[in-house]
Amino acid sequence: MTAVAEKSAATPATSLVDLLDRLLGAGVVLSGDVTISLAGVDLVTVKLRALVMSVREAQP
Amino acid sequence: MTTKATYMYAITRPVLPGELNGLRGVSGAPVRMIEDGDVACLVSTVDLAEFGEEALPNNLEDLGWLERTARQHDEVVQAGARITTTMPLRLATICTDDNSAQERLHRFGGRALAVLADLDGREEWGVKVLASPDRSAPGVPVGDDISGTAYLLRRRQQLARSDNAAVAASRDADAVYSRLAEHAVAGRRHRPQDRRLTGAAQPMVLNAAFLVERTRVGQFRSVVAELMSERPPESITLTGPWAPYSFAAMEET
Repeated sequence: MTAVAEKSAATPATSLVDLLDRLLGAGVVLSGDVTISLAGVDLVTVKLRALVMSVREAQP
Repeated sequence: MTTKATYMYAITRPVLPGELNGLRGVSGAPVRMIEDGDVACLVSTVDLAEFGEEALPNNLEDLGWLERTARQHDEVVQAGARITTTMPLRLATICTDDNSAQERLHRFGGRALAVLADLDGREEWGVKVLASPDRSAPGVPVGDDISGTAYLLRRRQQLARSDNAAVAASRDADAVYSRLAEHAVAGRRHRPQDRRLTGAAQPMVLNAAFLVERTRVGQFRSVVAELMSERPPESITLTGPWAPYSFAAMEET
């Protein structure tokens, strides 16, 4: 069986989405005095809004 | 009033100080290690003017800033993962200072060691699946020759078909997930990505991450290749290897 030809992210925007899935939706959560990682839901909303705007702007 | 804080990237086992030479984190600051017994944390110093409670929400809305910071964070995590087993922390995990970071590390030490042991010798792979196009869904014809009843009947059939297509897509996603999970130590399903972000014609039905033994990655990829050959081109995407972001979950209690 040959190795899968890996599809490196179609566009920079999509690979950023993959990265943010992990950076915002997963990972260890440490909360505490001034741990500023916001609630996951808030960040996801932020991310979608920012990314959707950028995708729209990129379209002709 | 202090203007600096400590940004935490990942929990690892202690590494030799020289191994972090030249490694830069967010805002280009040098990465350091804070140790506590058998565990360590990769950190760097950040400016509260950029990462403080007031500035951060605005910066997260700035796509350029978000992308730059996310990639710098990931570079540090990847560098850690090349040296030793690494538990990534969420983006923008910030403590007041090194002492506070060390206290936190001390509190998590035991559980962190257990998670690190689970991650030893394993890496994360991502698999995304798009729904297959539905070839059997003609639109409702619009014309004068169609009665209201006939229109409603056809419309109802069309809706039933699209429900069936959604059920089939969901079953297909479950099947792909189960098949790959057999070749992984663990799996996790992220929320499918919005179609506005993927730019694809079909909706995403599966956005999964798998934790795979390094020695079994070849086999895992072969199964992905088989799945790819069974369905339309470009409907399955494989990404990785990733640091084990999706498998380092450890909520504070």
